[in-house]
Amino acid sequence: MKDELFTMMPEMPPLSPEMLAHLKEEANRNVLRMKHFSEMIMNPKEPEVGPTPREEIYRTNKSRLWRYESKRTIKTPLLFVPNLGISRPYIFDLMHKGSFIEHMTQLGFDFYLVDWGVFGPEDNDLTLEHAVTRILPRLARKALESSGASEMSVLGYCMGAPLSVSFLATHPEFPLKNYINMAGPIDFAHVGLFGLWLDPRFFDADKYVDTLGSIPADMVKMGFKLLKPTMDLSTSLNLWWNLWNPEYVAGFNALNKWANEYLPFPGEFFRQWVKEFYQQNRLIKGELVMAGRPVRLERITCPVLAVGAKEDNIAPPGCVRPLIDAVGSRDKEYIEMPGGHISLIAGRGASVHCWPKVAAWLAERS
Amino acid sequence: MADNVSQQLLEMWKKQVEESSQAWVKMLGQGQAVDPQAFWRPFMDQGMAAWSKVMTQGQPSPDLMGQWKQFLDQWIAAWSKALEQAMGTDAFAKAMGKQLESVLNAANPVKKAAEQQIEATLAGLGVPSRSQVIALAKHVIQLEEKVDDIADRMESVAQLKSAIYGLEGRLDAILKRLTDLTATPKEERA
Repeated sequence: MKDELFTMMPEMPPLSPEMLAHLKEEANRNVLRMKHFSEMIMNPKEPEVGPTPREEIYRTNKSRLWRYESKRTIKTPLLFVPNLGISRPYIFDLMHKGSFIEHMTQLGFDFYLVDWGVFGPEDNDLTLEHAVTRILPRLARKALESSGASEMSVLGYCMGAPLSVSFLATHPEFPLKNYINMAGPIDFAHVGLFGLWLDPRFFDADKYVDTLGSIPADMVKMGFKLLKPTMDLSTSLNLWWNLWNPEYVAGFNALNKWANEYLPFPGEFFRQWVKEFYQQNRLIKGELVMAGRPVRLERITCPVLAVGAKEDNIAPPGCVRPLIDAVGSRDKEYIEMPGGHISLIAGRGASVHCWPKVAAWLAERS
Repeated sequence: MADNVSQQLLEMWKKQVEESSQAWVKMLGQGQAVDPQAFWRPFMDQGMAAWSKVMTQGQPSPDLMGQWKQFLDQWIAAWSKALEQAMGTDAFAKAMGKQLESVLNAANPVKKAAEQQIEATLAGLGVPSRSQVIALAKHVIQLEEKVDDIADRMESVAQLKSAIYGLEGRLDAILKRLTDLTATPKEERA
């Protein structure tokens, strides 16, 4: 019986010493994989995120302004404006040696982070206009006061880019030194799958907001998961493959914690975001009005850098780049980096490709 | 040699996976029902054929696991691309919009009825309801907003005041200079 079974198998070539070495290494890795896997299951540790020391400068309602102090070898401080809702901002300071904020402060930039906060049902009336014309100007002014600087650079990431350019284009009195758009959609005609799914032919934003009041975190999560349905599979596969490596496991735990903490959208904010930006594309058309002031991107005349990520399916390069043609600056540049929407700013690839490039561009002009 | 064989196999696998996933997208586009067997067979057949070849070619890559991981990565990448194509169609967006809308249509009356019921029960018990707590929180937010506005105005006033002090200082200096000038005898000035 045993012989019969072997004759059914194709004839195996003899194992080379090289192959034996690989198999041995793989066996050792498997032992480590089992060890780390059992630790993850039996004794899960809460990953420590946000390692860079910070100080709360200002708070209004749920929103806060954080200062990450540096040795201030770079004169002009940096104000970082991320997305409102969707996810928490600690991704920018995820872990030691894996933090954009740590990288920038070590280089001597005083770093100010806008933390929009987690909005509840009491904030359902909060509009995008209020965020842009009331909250953001106040936080930016507090950052400027706290720094004692006469000018400030602003970096908008993801949704933070259209929000911050809307603020800057309507507040010419703000002493803006440089502006960076990192993976922020500007021309919503090229915004990929979300643009199609939120098309007014298929998506009635009014009905959603009127029925639900706010957009729950689970619905936000569903939208993002659907955007890349194979993401969980490839994440699990990569985890298994690298499970022997404790550094990878630590990074995975921190990133996984962040990736599963979705945040809701205040209802009125979502209505305005979807209708005026996604459906009517008012920002790039010059038709957007905030608190009675038209948002004219050509009013931004400082040096501008736009950074797109080649595999970004949330803000594809085609919707990031148009900022360059829209602003009135003479010193302007567009660069495209490898990676996706998140890996542009977080993770090992970002520390090699994006962070040094952005920091060098900014340092030269600060 | 072994690397060449691995590379060829990888390319073959990649091509096969891409072709199969594209066929699947096409099938979806034509509105045909997906046959699970037809769906999986090309991948299973191809996978088995590739592995059989790896094992019998004589000089397979020594890093079998690495090669296997590459196969899986290619497989996921091809499916990701295919799904993205399928989801990037008007038909998919329309179907998803309808699906979500039907969920809203079903949820809305249930949600409203439940809220009314809970409100009535809590009112009967003399306990503040969710909507009352939310209304209170809204008042607090509005109050905070007003305090912020007052603080902003006070800051503006303070700035204006310091600007006026600055002007006053300059005016004093000008007046002092004028006084000095007028006090100086004409001959000296000449």
